[in-house]
Amino acid sequence: MIAHRTEGSTSSRKLRFVALGTVLALAAAACGSNRGTSSTTTSKTPSSGGGATAPVVDTSGCPTANDTTGVSGDTITIGTSLPESGLYAAFTAILKGEKSYFSYMNAQGGIEVPAGSGKKYKINLIAKDDAYDAAKTVTNVNSLINDSKVFALFNTVGTKNNLAIRDTSDTQCVPDLLIASGAVQWGNPKFPWMLGSELVPYPLEMQTFVDYLLKNKPNATIAVLKANDDFGQSYADTLQALVKGTNLKIVQTQGYDPEGSDVKAQVTSLAATKADAFVIGGTLLACPNALNAMGDAGWKPIVYMSGTCVSKVLLGIAGKNAQGVLSVTSLLDPADPVNASNPAMQLYKAQVKKYAPDADTSDGIVAYGWTTAALFAKILSLSPKLDRGSVMNTAHTVSGVTGVGLQLAGSTWSTSASDRFIGETFQLINYDATAGHSNPVGPITDDNGKTAKLSPAVLLNS
Amino acid sequence: MSLFLTQLMNGIGNGAVYASLALALVLIFRTTGILNFAQGEMALYSTYLFWYFTDRGLPVVVAILAAMALSFIGGALVERVVIRPVEHSSPLVLVIVTIGLFLALNSIVQVQFGSDIKTNLPRAYPKHTWRPGNVQISADTLVLVGMLAVVCVLLYLLFQRTKIGLAMRAVASSSESARLSGVPVGQMLMFGWGLAAALGALAGVLVIPQIGLQASSMQSILVFSFAAAALGGFDSPVGAVVGGLIVGVAEALTTQYVHALNGIVLIVPFGLILGVLMVRPQGLFGRRTVERV
Amino acid sequence: MVSRRQTQVIGLVMSIIVLVLLIWLPHHNGSTNTLRWAQVLYIGVAAMGLNLLTGYNGQVSIGHGAFFGVGAYTSALLMHNHGWSFLPTLLVAAPLCFLVGVLVGFPALRVKGLYLALVTLGLAVLFPDLTKKYVHATGGTNLVSLNRGELSPPAWVPTSVSAIGRDDQWAYYVCLGAAVVLVIAALLIVRSRFGRALIAVRDHESAAASVGINAARVKVMAFALSALYAGIAGSCSVLVTHLANAEKVQTFQLSIEFLVALVIGGTATVVGPLLGAWLVVTLQHWISDTLPQHVGSLGPLKRVLGDPAASPALFGIMLILFVFVLPDGVVGGFRRAWARFVRNRNQTPHHAPAPLAT
Repeated sequence: MIAHRTEGSTSSRKLRFVALGTVLALAAAACGSNRGTSSTTTSKTPSSGGGATAPVVDTSGCPTANDTTGVSGDTITIGTSLPESGLYAAFTAILKGEKSYFSYMNAQGGIEVPAGSGKKYKINLIAKDDAYDAAKTVTNVNSLINDSKVFALFNTVGTKNNLAIRDTSDTQCVPDLLIASGAVQWGNPKFPWMLGSELVPYPLEMQTFVDYLLKNKPNATIAVLKANDDFGQSYADTLQALVKGTNLKIVQTQGYDPEGSDVKAQVTSLAATKADAFVIGGTLLACPNALNAMGDAGWKPIVYMSGTCVSKVLLGIAGKNAQGVLSVTSLLDPADPVNASNPAMQLYKAQVKKYAPDADTSDGIVAYGWTTAALFAKILSLSPKLDRGSVMNTAHTVSGVTGVGLQLAGSTWSTSASDRFIGETFQLINYDATAGHSNPVGPITDDNGKTAKLSPAVLLNS
Repeated sequence: MSLFLTQLMNGIGNGAVYASLALALVLIFRTTGILNFAQGEMALYSTYLFWYFTDRGLPVVVAILAAMALSFIGGALVERVVIRPVEHSSPLVLVIVTIGLFLALNSIVQVQFGSDIKTNLPRAYPKHTWRPGNVQISADTLVLVGMLAVVCVLLYLLFQRTKIGLAMRAVASSSESARLSGVPVGQMLMFGWGLAAALGALAGVLVIPQIGLQASSMQSILVFSFAAAALGGFDSPVGAVVGGLIVGVAEALTTQYVHALNGIVLIVPFGLILGVLMVRPQGLFGRRTVERV
Repeated sequence: MVSRRQTQVIGLVMSIIVLVLLIWLPHHNGSTNTLRWAQVLYIGVAAMGLNLLTGYNGQVSIGHGAFFGVGAYTSALLMHNHGWSFLPTLLVAAPLCFLVGVLVGFPALRVKGLYLALVTLGLAVLFPDLTKKYVHATGGTNLVSLNRGELSPPAWVPTSVSAIGRDDQWAYYVCLGAAVVLVIAALLIVRSRFGRALIAVRDHESAAASVGINAARVKVMAFALSALYAGIAGSCSVLVTHLANAEKVQTFQLSIEFLVALVIGGTATVVGPLLGAWLVVTLQHWISDTLPQHVGSLGPLKRVLGDPAASPALFGIMLILFVFVLPDGVVGGFRRAWARFVRNRNQTPHHAPAPLAT
């Protein structure tokens, strides 16, 4: 699929591997990512992933300097902990996407680190089941670091699960990369060995929606449904801060138990306010259930729904009640027939079918795993040297990354010493219930560098 | 006022679900003296069967009946294979066995049917909401309440008007004397478990399409059903129904009117049980009997 | 002949051997294994506490995960927010859990059996919600995650004497110390007047009352003591897991683990809960870690057994099979076997072994 775009010469073959390394199945040779690659490979110091900036991660206090634990021969061993059993076992789908990507890369000979060096590494991903229990995540991660000697932790699932290991990752200088949670806590400057993945940070969603309201209904009253945990709080607190000084007004906030999904009574109560806008800071089944309860109540507000709920599966449950619902996404929707002809999508579907035949390729969560794995490979290939400090610094200083996995065309991912969030460019979308997929609303939003100051301080700094 | 009535209807709808599962708990408690922790997961398994059948193209009603029939057989088998060998053990051992069953079933559905959320669950009836005087009454609520009423009538007829019901009551009051008067006690116990499983299946296939099918679908419902059964009395079918409705309504009204309890609404059902049990340790409608533990 | 005295001596000798092995353990095992043993010890302590309530006093609780959580949160918050070192936090956590136990014990005067079990279930599902509403610790969540500095042992603890780090070693020995002290305490309790009162109230409450036992006080005390055990277990767990956390699923699961450890170890026996805890932890580890490594040789079962989602099913099924075979737990089974052995020894050799009644 990719080969037809490459010629026989050695230089273009090199280019081809860069392209493969980033799943640049789009005609990406012209885009910024290759330029980014060459600029990083020319830098000499291990600390600078993105050019002249000072190192974000200080390795002087680490147990070992230039730690290459986990790199052996041509294999890099990395570890992850996620729920593979219990009530949250559905997250296993992420692993299927990741493993497909790494198997695909390994079959191509591996990832070139640094790009252009000709030295390729295969990825060995060790997954451990924590059943979403933070205490088990701690055990798993200790075992991954001490017994399996992994190079880095990759896409470990869950907010509390990663908070529970942040001290371990920090004191032992093990990168906890591309955390599977859009929480803002990964921006805490005291813990530089962590970095979130390309999920859109929750506060940015609120910023986008407030902007939308200010433009379309500047005097709107807003009703809020939030999960009773830090996830829901990210939405509610940010929204509260953002409406200050505007004519927008929050009229009621209702919480629901995130371990259940029944929100009927809450939404009935919110509907009675007849608010103009409805924010759903919930996740999984609570989202369609809220939409259905809203429909039952005959309430027709402007709805914003958490980006974590954007999936064919969840929106399908809400059916016509999901008509016009606003949300954001940073990835191509694998369920959307419009994307079927996209080469990146075709590559993804073909490889996942090959390496994880039981996975549902139209499931957004598989696509997320695939893309995050591709982003990890991208960061490795951008790293000037293959040691923990260099890779971590590189992750903190990527600039203008495009075309990774199923990344939206036109979106760029960047980090810097003062900006620890990747997924800050994204697309506002609204759902078309008849067609069964979402349509973009306006151009891509670029909120690069804005997350930290929008985040509730209690989440970011404690 | 219309808001109050709407929340009341919400509560009654949920309450009907809690009540049906509580009824299943009571059926099993009366026949075998066991508090079945696996009741919710048995209903979950039944609902997955229902999903499987409809996914394979069976009409909804046929799928419901098939799921109920298989659940009946499954429930009877569980009694025979899992419960019978330990029926005379200490109540603690029985608690452990049903907890083992709970863990096993929850995990088996995921291995057998996949851990993803199942979306294409058809409803047995069209979705509709009526709004007389601004009070919302959804078809969901009516169907659940109707189902509960029909189940109650059928159970009443079964227990009061049939031979098998008489035999079951005999077993419930004293399995030893029932055995002596020629009642096939073993078969009656299997019948009781089968009946409870089928009842759970019915509740599952009616409520889960409203909230979505995944491995955790029944767990929060089960907690409320336990509260309902304890409130009404573990040995009282009437208590299960009344308890279920009280718990459901209390939950909805607390959400609407008591914002201070936002996030800790569970305090209401358990506060209720505690209050009631302090006054009547056998529950609202339970009979005062020799304690089993 | 095996006399009662000899049995006691054998028991004592075996306890000392086990204790020596446990003291030596960190020298042989890596950090991961040592901490797993620490987990066995703290789950065992909680199960011992539950045993005082359920085994000896006949009151069933499926909510001890909440008391465990109170202990864990008390220690963790004192260490995290107030810079306490671990041991002094026990002086707060233990009495606090005792008090909470008294409070929860009061309804037990009226509410009995499975109704009481349900009330304690309410405790287990409510506790996580309460922490979510009122605790805002690490990253603003209800998780209290402790860093190395907050967890480091006091200065008087010698530097590591074994292959594992000083922190992990400290965590392990604290758990071991707590277990030893609380085993001895449990022995003293069950052999005291109070212990006999516990059993008397369990077996026949009104008869116990008629011989002058204050049944109400005994029952509330049983609750309070078992809460204290669970709370200390929770405190110790903080050293091992480096956190205090509560989610409904996990608090409920912990409550179940204590009960399972108690039943498969042997109710109303002092060492049973510890053995049961060892079985629970080992079995779960075996299912989720060891089994998948050998799954390649399992042939057609590979798809099922190799799927991590199946691990709770395996645990549940093993649990059921276990109580089928040993309904009175490991200690109960051992006692029956021992009784048979002793009886055979005591009989004249030419007699065939008599079938045992039980």
